[in-house]
Amino acid sequence: MFKNEEMEINLGPQHPSTHGVLRVKLRLDGETIKHCRPMIGYLHRGIEKICENKTYFQGQVWTDRLDYCSAVANNLGWAEANEKLFGITVPRRAQYIRTLLNEFNRLASHLIWLATHALDIGAMTVFLYTFREREDILDINEAFCGSRLTTTAFRIGGLREDLPPGFEQLVRKFLAKFPACLEEYENLLSENRIWKKRTVGVAKLNAEDAIALGVTGPVLRAAGVPYDIRKAFPYAAYAEMDFEVPTRTEADTYARYLVRLEEMRQSSRIIQQCMDGLPEGPVMAKIPKILRAEVNEVYHATEAPKGEIGYYLVGEKGSTNPYRFHIRAPGFINLQSLPKMVEGSLLADIVAAIGTLDIVLGEIDR
Amino acid sequence: MSDANLPETTEAPFVYDYKTAPNREIILPKTVPLPGFRAYLAEQKAADEADAAKWLKQLADYEAAKSKAEAEGKDAPKPPAKAIAKKNDTEMTFPAPVDANDPDLLRLMEILGLKVEEAFEQGGELTCQVAKEHILEALRLCREDASLKFEMLADETATHYPAAKDFAFCVVYHLTSLARKKRLRLRILIPEGFEPESATQVYPSANWMEREIWDMFGIRFANHPDMTRILCPEDWEGHALRKDYPVVGWGQRDIDFREDRSGMLNRIALEKAGQLGINLKRPKAE
Repeated sequence: MFKNEEMEINLGPQHPSTHGVLRVKLRLDGETIKHCRPMIGYLHRGIEKICENKTYFQGQVWTDRLDYCSAVANNLGWAEANEKLFGITVPRRAQYIRTLLNEFNRLASHLIWLATHALDIGAMTVFLYTFREREDILDINEAFCGSRLTTTAFRIGGLREDLPPGFEQLVRKFLAKFPACLEEYENLLSENRIWKKRTVGVAKLNAEDAIALGVTGPVLRAAGVPYDIRKAFPYAAYAEMDFEVPTRTEADTYARYLVRLEEMRQSSRIIQQCMDGLPEGPVMAKIPKILRAEVNEVYHATEAPKGEIGYYLVGEKGSTNPYRFHIRAPGFINLQSLPKMVEGSLLADIVAAIGTLDIVLGEIDR
Repeated sequence: MSDANLPETTEAPFVYDYKTAPNREIILPKTVPLPGFRAYLAEQKAADEADAAKWLKQLADYEAAKSKAEAEGKDAPKPPAKAIAKKNDTEMTFPAPVDANDPDLLRLMEILGLKVEEAFEQGGELTCQVAKEHILEALRLCREDASLKFEMLADETATHYPAAKDFAFCVVYHLTSLARKKRLRLRILIPEGFEPESATQVYPSANWMEREIWDMFGIRFANHPDMTRILCPEDWEGHALRKDYPVVGWGQRDIDFREDRSGMLNRIALEKAGQLGINLKRPKAE
């Protein structure tokens, strides 16, 4: 009797599994999703507009608040885009420290992703494990710049200050214990029967669709496309680092989980190399106190934990603030693929799909 | 609650005039910072000419002063010296635009011919400006041509140029070739009201990006599957990233309830505040 009736429901905006204020309008046939429409904008603060009315230096604090789980990666993209706009060469030591902090940030972001993703699906324990290690990374952030989450870590032209005393010991201590922690997570999840039932074959997105929809980051790499901006367009000190880009071909939630775990391993490798090969020298380029641009435009993309974060800047001659400040947020573009992932699957799978996209509404709504 | 405590409600409810509030003055840009090789050359030429004219004037002034001093029998004035270029003591070198030399740009210019309005390189980034009617053709070519093969549209956005005369917006497309590890920027200049063809017909990823452009700039795209606002609500006034939109935007609710057409909520708020001894009414300007 109810055979042909479709039901429309709203997932969110106040729903714990939507990682913020995401609203997804779903049309269901029984438990099968027929139509899915993500609706965003609840956290829109107009960061692009604000940054266009601030000086080049002042933009950084706003980039912290895009994807607040990976503030350092946002800072790095911002700093490098500005350096490209002005033609600034950053000292090598600063490049190394930036790379190191960026990789720590990738670890922190992936840890929080693993925690919340597993929590959404129903595995509570992992949350407690990963937050333990994330705490250490936040302590390292704090030792470097005094702030734990919204770091404002870099400056245009390099860093504000060199590494503090005792920083290396903190890093070495973390590196010594982290591989064992990764094994713990794997023991908890990788062969867990419930975890596999909830993730294997769920929210598939093949390579062709992913490229057409502009999806980047681990989601694209889990579909078998080895596109990592750290390798494709090397920036900071990544050209000198030895690391691999993990890929999978299954293109499902489980593959993305494995890709991210492997990425964490590679990140700790990069951190090791940065710490071992840290060159001596200054950490700040010689630049004027007030930056005045020439007419120029840049699009600079870096590999944030979630995917490609790009900054598009247009400089106005003699002006101290950017004429146009645009952020290509990875989450914004990746979220577009949600309907493709979930249409035709069960309602419960959308929670896994949102988790595997690793969205943060701060950068999606900007 | 007795009615005697309530303030008089006969006067018109206070409405916060958000359109004339402070922080909302609009400072329109005076220049058109549109990067380009030809514009750069023209600017350099103008600067050189201005320098030359200044130098000639200095010489003429010197000659006049010299003859005057000779006539009066005084010492000759100092001859003028050419201004020495300021030494660049910073580690900054502005990447000047250069003419198109990259094989990708040459290929585009070869196939599209006169539809390419300008092509140049600046700081290692390739830019190709095509005629606004032919953007779809250019995008399709970039995606399908065997030697170009830009598979992914990484980003699409716009810039507002209110000071420009023959166009109002510049729409830029950032393409990425995953296989060849290259980037290319396409751009079109469009006047107010022009509807460019939607890139979704070639790159489905343009869907949300173009919705955002419509939301923020008010540029509509032809043949777009879903031309609705994305970040702001559907009934939002204006387009926030235009240069004629103030930073503290329209529609910010201080104590005015804009959707409250009857003024009911407003009056209740004022009454409640009055009961608490708070005066929400703005003092009248004298």
